[in-house]
Amino acid sequence: MTAAVERPAATRHRPSTFALKQVMAITGVVFVAFTFIHMYGNLKVYWGRQALDGYATWLREVGYPLLPYKSVLWALRITLLVSLVAHVWAAVALWLRGRAARGKHRRRAMPRSMAWGARTMLPGGVWILIFVVVHLLDLTVGLIVAPESWAAQGPDGLIPAYDNLVASFSRPLMAAYYTFTMFVIAFHIWHGWRTLLQDWGITGRRIRVVWATIGALIALAIVLGNAAIPLLVLTGVIA
Amino acid sequence: MRVEIEVWRQDSPEADGRFETHVVEDATPEMSLLELLDRLNDQLAEGGVEPIQFESDCREGACGACGVTVNDTPHGPVPQTPSCRQHLRAFGPGRGGSPNLDSGSSASANLDLGSLLKLRIEPLRSAAFPVVRDLVVDRSSLDRLIQAGGHVDVTTGTAPDADDLLIGHDDAELALDFAACIGCGACVAACPNGAAHLFAGAKLAHLALLPHGKLERTRRAGAVVDQLDGEFGPCSSYGECVEVCPAGIPLTAVAAVHREKLRAAFRR
Repeated sequence: MTAAVERPAATRHRPSTFALKQVMAITGVVFVAFTFIHMYGNLKVYWGRQALDGYATWLREVGYPLLPYKSVLWALRITLLVSLVAHVWAAVALWLRGRAARGKHRRRAMPRSMAWGARTMLPGGVWILIFVVVHLLDLTVGLIVAPESWAAQGPDGLIPAYDNLVASFSRPLMAAYYTFTMFVIAFHIWHGWRTLLQDWGITGRRIRVVWATIGALIALAIVLGNAAIPLLVLTGVIA
Repeated sequence: MRVEIEVWRQDSPEADGRFETHVVEDATPEMSLLELLDRLNDQLAEGGVEPIQFESDCREGACGACGVTVNDTPHGPVPQTPSCRQHLRAFGPGRGGSPNLDSGSSASANLDLGSLLKLRIEPLRSAAFPVVRDLVVDRSSLDRLIQAGGHVDVTTGTAPDADDLLIGHDDAELALDFAACIGCGACVAACPNGAAHLFAGAKLAHLALLPHGKLERTRRAGAVVDQLDGEFGPCSSYGECVEVCPAGIPLTAVAAVHREKLRAAFRR
């Protein structure tokens, strides 16, 4: 630290990096909670057509008649959409700041690096973003990538979630895409959850271990619960 | 043994740098990285070439003055060891420079002394560390972090009597662990985001544990985090800083940055 190179005064970022990290953390937790509950709901598929279709229909009716039809569903959808926009915006802003702070010399990854979780966050996030679009078109909206037999309503008046799901996953490529994406999501959650320790300043030794373990278990549950479904459809167990 | 060194040469902060390749024929496994550079500089001086500029002081891992990137790893291939304590005997042959530390026998026995050792030596890389010349970088961005809040700035009167202010053993040990930072800047150079959270967090965690440091805890957290924001990148929990830190500062120091900042936010 002997010599000083003249530099322009440090730029003050707005919003601060700290604030962006908190946005990432809070919206990230929203997604982890959503993904976990979504996985839990998906387990209805193991109880058969009626259980899943009934659950899908209930999601639209929940709260009715106290609340308008589909209001809870739309409240959740809007929460998720706002979180998504905030998460992606903060991620891009932080990525740009990180690139600027690293400087123009890119160092190759360190040989013994344990950082591949962090390194795959951005490409993994882009993969998941594309998956969200595909998934919504496939099983919610029923456009472009949806199976030919996709229907918005079944003959029994319920949402035919089960038949739509089976039709979609009977396409091996789509099934493989879903299964692989579950691993990407689990990986994203695994590292994101670990990052929360730093974002929220958790320094206790025991709680850090417990917290990281909880994250790994959530990620594992999502893989086991979700990725099995396309495989079971392909093998004919769910039909 | 023969060592081929690809070394960064840069005449001034504004100049474009370039790699130059030199060979040291008479290197020995006992040589440290800095001694290897000394030997190379002797050679260059004999040939009438300007020697390679690099920083060093104590050469025993205490001062934090030295620090170069070797084969893409800040300080060199031996984990958590400053450049001055990295010896050629620990480097495997070839570019990867993987250390032969895990063998039961002496490390040097593993090294094929007839083989060519290739090292690529460049400065610590970060936008916060502009190159002054060759391998010397300007790390005053770390000084500015310390100026912002890495100090105790309260009037404490005359020196207190011993045992006047009692500090628990565990707190004292923990504070000392965080105080072990030698300010070498390898954490910043290791970080793919150019973040200095390990450095700043070590200071915040250290001072937050001690009676005099506690007095300014809230103000310090705000000042240090603002300064981090201005000159360094965000932390994405890569953890590469911990791998290179010669003082063994743990990742909990990084968590301490936001712990202190969040604590300050709720105290306003």
